[in-house]
Amino acid sequence: MTKEEILKTFQDKFPGKIEEIPFVGVDVAFKVDRELILQVCRFAKENPELQFDLLACQTCIDWVEHMEIVYNLFSFEKRHKIAIKTSVPRDGHMDSVTPVWKAANWHEREIAELFGMTFDNHPDPRPIFLPEDWDQGYPMRKGWEGKDFVRLPEK
Amino acid sequence: MSDYPRSSLLTPLLTVEKADTEEFIVNMGPQHPSTHGVCRLLLKMDGEVVVDVVPIVGYLHRALEKIAENRTYLQFIPYTDRIDYVTAMICNHGLCMAVEKLAQIEVPERAEYIRVIMDELNRIASHLIWLGTFALDIGAITPFLYCFREREHILDLFEMVCGQRMTFNYMRVGGVSRDLPPEFLPKAKEFVEYFKPKVDEYEAILTQNPIFLGRTKGVGILDRKVAIDYSVTGPNLRATGLKWDLRKEEPYSVYDRFDFDIPTGTKSDSWDRYIVRIQEMRQANRIVEQALQSIPEGEIKTKTKPVFKPPQGEAYVRIESTRGEMGFYIVSEGEKTIPYRVKIRSASFSNLAALPEMVRGWKIADLVVIFASLDVIMPDVDR
Repeated sequence: MTKEEILKTFQDKFPGKIEEIPFVGVDVAFKVDRELILQVCRFAKENPELQFDLLACQTCIDWVEHMEIVYNLFSFEKRHKIAIKTSVPRDGHMDSVTPVWKAANWHEREIAELFGMTFDNHPDPRPIFLPEDWDQGYPMRKGWEGKDFVRLPEK
Repeated sequence: MSDYPRSSLLTPLLTVEKADTEEFIVNMGPQHPSTHGVCRLLLKMDGEVVVDVVPIVGYLHRALEKIAENRTYLQFIPYTDRIDYVTAMICNHGLCMAVEKLAQIEVPERAEYIRVIMDELNRIASHLIWLGTFALDIGAITPFLYCFREREHILDLFEMVCGQRMTFNYMRVGGVSRDLPPEFLPKAKEFVEYFKPKVDEYEAILTQNPIFLGRTKGVGILDRKVAIDYSVTGPNLRATGLKWDLRKEEPYSVYDRFDFDIPTGTKSDSWDRYIVRIQEMRQANRIVEQALQSIPEGEIKTKTKPVFKPPQGEAYVRIESTRGEMGFYIVSEGEKTIPYRVKIRSASFSNLAALPEMVRGWKIADLVVIFASLDVIMPDVDR
């Protein structure tokens, strides 16, 4: 499928909700509302024209005013790849996509622990990397200061 | 379960009249010789049988992504060596490629050839470590010694090129840091010829060895659908029969100029994961051979500005690492020397997440084999 066809398939299903954005390294990237994310992801996986069966990467960007969750998807059958973005308020919560891709389980645990996000209906919302007795907040947030972390001056 | 039944299953040597079984929890690791690093496996056991496993990771978490937000693009390259220290060249390559895509920098042809040679030599070195330790976990000590003997030659080649044997810091945005020394090409060609029969040697010891077959055939089957659901990539995915390799399907660098095959498995058991990697070593050697013959003269680096500031934007660029898809997701604000955000998508992280699906119902001794066959590198998981 071409870039336009992929975008149109999503736009037909979710009219007025898909906003294209620039992104290097994928065929097409767009933004959706966070309330729709589970529906959009399920559609991306289950639609026979799209078949995005691989959640290649899921991550979070802290833009200080809000957080942005990014899903990088790929289809082995159709050989196309997209990125989906959704914006979430800080300390906000959103649906887990673990029912769609099991791979999201660990990615979401990582995001929840390091960025302080909450994923609803996550099957296993334990911390993943940090020590059990960690009490110094969410280290991947912008502006986080820790004992061993010194912000270098920028030239 | 297995094509190669174990003797104890055929004729029970001991029987008990009254057997009470009780499930119990046991820890394997974090310090355990067969976890290849510091990984803790929390096991729910029924006698010798694994009922469930919970991998507990994070012992090597160094917050490399946080460090990246505090370093310039160039300063972060040595940190990529520490993501997957066994294939540091490919990690270097991944980061540099992502930044090049973002800043639209062309890489000179010679540099691309050098990168491919380094990547593939590093792939062989990594598979050699894997093969050695995999065989060691099963109880074969000889292959370990053989593998490290050959790996030594590759490390010598790396040392010749960049002065380092493990953490290379060799590639740069726009090329590589220095040209190949004149003695490299003859030595590398010598190695290619030297290595060809060595793979047969490993195969002679292992491939049809009845003990090896008994321990690996049919053990730890990972269904293709489950593998994709967990985002398992690389040799572990190819062992399920899916012919998918980024070097072939999405050729980056100059991989489209070389003739090589993508080995795949059929049963997606531990033996298939073994044979796929064995054949990958041969294919990597083929690529190195072709690249050494056709490497052009010329520049080794595109000049970038001394204070390097990529334009505003974001990129997700992936590369076929030894363990699967390695992705670098970079967000640049523009007019800044440091990235706003770097996400490292490491293959081992996703591959390890699929472990519980493979080990349920197998004995604890098989768990060791299955874990080893996944080729997980803990710093790659924890980052």
